Amino acid sequence: MITRRQIVGAGLVLPLAACRPRSGGRLRVGVAFETLQTEYWVASFDIIRAELAKNDIDTIEAISDGDANRQLEQIKSFVARRMDGVIVAPKDAYTVIPMIKSVNRKDIPIVIYNRPPAENPYKRVTVGTDNFGITRNTVLYLCQLARKAMPSRAGKKHKALILMGDLGDINAVGRRDGFDAAVKENADIVEVVTRVPTEWNQEKALAGITNGLQAHPDISMVFTSSDFLLPSVVSALKNAGKFHPAGHPDHVLLGAFDGDSMAFRMLREKTLDADGVQDAYAQSRLVVQSILSMRAGEKVNPLVLDPGLVVHQENLSQESSRMWGAQLVLESERASRG
Amino acid sequence: MVDPVSAVDASASVPSNTLNLSGLVRRLFASETWVLALSVIYFLVLLPFAPDLGNLENLELIVHNMLPLCMVAVGQTLVLLTGGIDLSVTSIIALCSVGGAWSMTSWGMPGTAGFLVGGLVMVAIGALVGLFNGMAITRLTMPPFMVTLATMMFGSGLAVYLTRSQGIVGLPESLAAFTQEGVGPVPYALLLVAPVALVCHGFLTRTKAGRWLFAIGANAKAAQISGVPVKRVTIMAYVLCGVMAAFSALIYTGRLETGSPVLGQRVFLDVIGATVIGGTSLFGGRGSVLGTVYGVLFITLIDNSLNILGLSNFTILMVKGTVILFAALGDGLRRRRLGGGR
Repeated sequence: MITRRQIVGAGLVLPLAACRPRSGGRLRVGVAFETLQTEYWVASFDIIRAELAKNDIDTIEAISDGDANRQLEQIKSFVARRMDGVIVAPKDAYTVIPMIKSVNRKDIPIVIYNRPPAENPYKRVTVGTDNFGITRNTVLYLCQLARKAMPSRAGKKHKALILMGDLGDINAVGRRDGFDAAVKENADIVEVVTRVPTEWNQEKALAGITNGLQAHPDISMVFTSSDFLLPSVVSALKNAGKFHPAGHPDHVLLGAFDGDSMAFRMLREKTLDADGVQDAYAQSRLVVQSILSMRAGEKVNPLVLDPGLVVHQENLSQESSRMWGAQLVLESERASRG
Repeated sequence: MVDPVSAVDASASVPSNTLNLSGLVRRLFASETWVLALSVIYFLVLLPFAPDLGNLENLELIVHNMLPLCMVAVGQTLVLLTGGIDLSVTSIIALCSVGGAWSMTSWGMPGTAGFLVGGLVMVAIGALVGLFNGMAITRLTMPPFMVTLATMMFGSGLAVYLTRSQGIVGLPESLAAFTQEGVGPVPYALLLVAPVALVCHGFLTRTKAGRWLFAIGANAKAAQISGVPVKRVTIMAYVLCGVMAAFSALIYTGRLETGSPVLGQRVFLDVIGATVIGGTSLFGGRGSVLGTVYGVLFITLIDNSLNILGLSNFTILMVKGTVILFAALGDGLRRRRLGGGR
């Protein structure tokens, strides 16, 4: 008769008997993203995977759905499975540090994507976005448009509203600071009347901008820290009767950040004035090149910031090839035309 | 209904060198060991498709991942035994994480002293929230689901409000070492988890108060008439659940080296899954610490193996949800076929 003790014994012994060494073959890189919540993250992931495939590298995917502890377990799983490299898009700047530590122990190259870690002594490369610089340039462009419209405003300053992201997210902080810097340089024509802390949540964004427009019906400039909040912005502006294309006398100057497909469509329709675009293609090349360089023992710059670009109605046709959201729309339109 | 005792008696008349399969299946299904057997079978079936599953480092990782989940699941078991539920464990973890981290970094105590005092602060927070839950459920006779849901929402909001969504860093090195390192493949955190689990097991199986938990879950009115101090014992269950969530918070916080206001937000599915798979009844009156530990092993193994197979997080969630649903169905089936209660 099989006894309970025998079952427990099998449970302890068999796993050890099953241990086996890793076989050779193509390189494997673990790619751990905190979320695929927005189009930017989905596009980034796909672009990185395509770039890895171009270099004959297999992608092992892990998405932690916003859970830092889960992401840590996923990274440790990559380490246990002896990945040849690890790419992490972390939830925040601090919880990624134990992940870097864990990967460093096995000398596996690690690249932190998009959100730089806080100061730490561990070996890694960060490929990020110059959130401050891109946002500043985007809002400076909006301010140029605002200045051109001043004669028709009888000297009245533009009233601006900003939708901020989760202020625990270093990207959101950078974009807020970039916005503030650009507005400060144009303090003679722009004043900020409402700041909406959205925590990257559509419902909070909608409620916040709706309240802002009610409190200040003469808001004439809006900046959203991410394109994924544009649906809330459009909805609120429409409800307030303020959603008009450029050229309309009641057009609200609108700026955004990311470069997604909705932003591209709105630029084409002239309802969005400027979009700060993260060059996901350039970033993915930098990420993969960093992994390969670290594996080859080459010296790699520990921080690489993508300067991005500002896409607006005047340069849309030239720059759409670098705008990842534009490529999604154009490919989809090509596919539907057959 | 088939009486498991007569099935055992029938098997006694079978010659000793014959494998009595139906009796074995019945005994396995009636005991917690079937979850362990299921884990072993699952592991072996998956191994050819995911060879990384069997490497020593991955097995170590499975043990590490089990530890914090074990603590909060054992605590939840105590509450489920009474026929209640504690939805607030996730926010207790978050509150303990930020409260403990704040005390470790703000009171100017060096290294290990800071870690120990922070740990005590976490336990105090967990116990207080548990006490509130227990008091509201017993003194105000409110449904456990509503009370703990409200506590969960309040606690989560409070943790984010107190920290303005920022994590608390600069925690003592000794906390990170305790929760991340070990002696060979044996993690130091096992020195906390194993004794606590053993004490809970002993409490349930060898003390009057432990037996009272089962009695309340089986039939609270009958237990009261029999002289069981139902209210006090129920409060005790929620306090212990809060304390176990605090231990879990200590391990999670140490692993991330950050006091996080959003820690443990998504762990509830795993907690309930582990307890139900381990044989704890959602209706109260049946369960065990050993079964919960096996349930934690199974849930952790599913998570780990599906990750290795490269399935997306969403697919893993769907698989886990399905497994937990079948476990809950099995719970109902066991009640009908093998009799309710322990």
